[in-house]
Amino acid sequence: MDSQQNSSSLFFDRDRHVLFLQMMYQLLPPEYQGQDINRLTLAYFAISGLQVLGALDRVDKEGIASWVLSFQSFPSNKDEPNEGQFYGFHGSRSSQFPAGESGVLIHNSSHLASTYCALAILKIVGFNFSHIDSETILTSMKNLQQPDGSFMPIHTGAEKDLRFIYCAAAICFMLDNWSGMDREKAKEYIVNCQSYDGGFGLIPGSESHGGATYCAVASLRLMGFIEDDLLSKSAPSSIINVPLLLDWSLQRQAVDGGFQGRPNKSSDTCYAFWIGGVLRILGGFKFIDKNALRRFLLTCQSKYGGFGKFPRQLPDLYHSFYGYSAFSLLEEPGLNPFCVELGITDIAAIGI
Amino acid sequence: MVRTRLCPSPTRTTSPKPWTISELSTEHMSAPTGPSASPLKPSTSTPAIILCGIFGVKYLSHLMLTCMMNWISLNMLPILTQKTIKFDFCRHHRRWVAEKLGADATSKELEFTKKILSLDAKNYHAWSHRQWVLQALGGWEDELDYCRQLLEDDIFNNSAWNQRYFVVTRSPLLGGLEAMRESEVNYTVEAIIANPENESPWRYLRGLYKGDTQSLVNDPQISSVCLKVLSTKSNHVFALSTLLDLICHGFQPSQEFKNAIDALKTPDSDPPDSGLAKAVCSILEHVDPMRVNYWTWRKSKLPAQAA
Repeated sequence: MDSQQNSSSLFFDRDRHVLFLQMMYQLLPPEYQGQDINRLTLAYFAISGLQVLGALDRVDKEGIASWVLSFQSFPSNKDEPNEGQFYGFHGSRSSQFPAGESGVLIHNSSHLASTYCALAILKIVGFNFSHIDSETILTSMKNLQQPDGSFMPIHTGAEKDLRFIYCAAAICFMLDNWSGMDREKAKEYIVNCQSYDGGFGLIPGSESHGGATYCAVASLRLMGFIEDDLLSKSAPSSIINVPLLLDWSLQRQAVDGGFQGRPNKSSDTCYAFWIGGVLRILGGFKFIDKNALRRFLLTCQSKYGGFGKFPRQLPDLYHSFYGYSAFSLLEEPGLNPFCVELGITDIAAIGI
Repeated sequence: MVRTRLCPSPTRTTSPKPWTISELSTEHMSAPTGPSASPLKPSTSTPAIILCGIFGVKYLSHLMLTCMMNWISLNMLPILTQKTIKFDFCRHHRRWVAEKLGADATSKELEFTKKILSLDAKNYHAWSHRQWVLQALGGWEDELDYCRQLLEDDIFNNSAWNQRYFVVTRSPLLGGLEAMRESEVNYTVEAIIANPENESPWRYLRGLYKGDTQSLVNDPQISSVCLKVLSTKSNHVFALSTLLDLICHGFQPSQEFKNAIDALKTPDSDPPDSGLAKAVCSILEHVDPMRVNYWTWRKSKLPAQAA
């Protein structure tokens, strides 16, 4: 891939970004085939991105709702949610098999992250949540929680870490029902993930990482274990070491103005959201150098629309979405305010 | 080359037909070939990964275990997992197989992660897997030395510092954090003096006193490394912020510290009777301008005895 001349590094090119997302929404380039199993997630990036940019009118909301709901899996009888499987949403048609002759779902690959994305998209397009069978989702989701409080994303087995606690917490929050998880146990696991340097790793003992730290802090906030804007409270909650977390998070802003995911690593567009989001929740976003961040992000802005991972790289959907989210945190004119904890706009979160 | 609609029309008259392997491998996929293909780049062509995605891990696990366990061995898996480092399916499957093999798999798994780390010393998933192997299967004997080697290669490798902490705190062969503290402080201080601008050893040093702030404040080595760095013409940010935290936790700086701070003050700094902590914050506002708002806020929040 040749490096590109970035001619639009002076301002946030909203119109070009809308076109980029529209293009991705309509036709995914072949490079995304390997990510087909995460198609719902890609859709979430595009659709949520369009709402951040105030361009949701470009999509067929009802069509999207039907499409998303077509990925939901159901047990063939009501007793099955207690037999170990998770009945949520598949990530793609390629992992969704029709029921067998007896009506039994043979390969149920419902995934926690896909379920989070599905519900987020439904929130965004304004779908009436009273029409969702949330009981099946929540009852069966309990099967995914581990004794140590962490979550597995699929019932057949996979990595268990903070990412899926976040998905579970966001799902419960959006369905406004916490029967799907043991919050206390999840909290214990999160607390154990805080590293000696103040950040959070994905698993206890792991290196502290921007994405993991977001999952930890956003989950605690969603579950109600930490208050909003902690730093302005006179007697803040102390289940986690907040001063050390704050110091670690702020130190992630590097000399080039961008945010890095871990110490001594390169700045990457997406951490502007992961770390910026953590700081926003804590009430410490005001401590960053916003101008420097903006300047860095604009060097990652592509002349084709979208954002790349590093300066002057070609754009991808993931970094584009988190670039838009970061610009929303920076209060870029014309962008909708972002609900950091849920990963959707305030409009979608409130349900107007 | 195939372009696909992100959100195709949901109306279907027939059940969705899963792609067959032949369709995938011949028409859709382009294998990374040639010397330029990095073994670490996520590949869209590895058939086993597609199998995992379509049939589910459990089905593939069953198939592999019953038909191929004898000859597929862990020699095959390095090729699959290396090409798709970011794929959760294969890492989980590798762990599942290693669990079945038990302690016999230990050295092989440690070698495997070592190989990946030799190409990408900060690969998060490789480190996760390595930590899992140590805790589940053992093999702690050489781990501290491995960390030392990695840090010799790159003292800025934060993953290696984290692994060092992991070993020091969790290895059943060492005495635990308190027992290891003295030797680790010596090691870390040396690293700090060599590169005071390196955040990792500063955080590690603090971590050695996790849960025991009083000992941190009372250890003369901690405050003296701050003083040493402040007296040189190097990056002072971490020395200053560490000193600030020490003072906030009750450290009583000697005249030597006051002199060192005085030497760093700017002409427009606070009145001469302001406390040392306030002076440190003011200096930080200048030497760490990216975080000027934070240091100003810290100045306003100093505990009474420190201000």
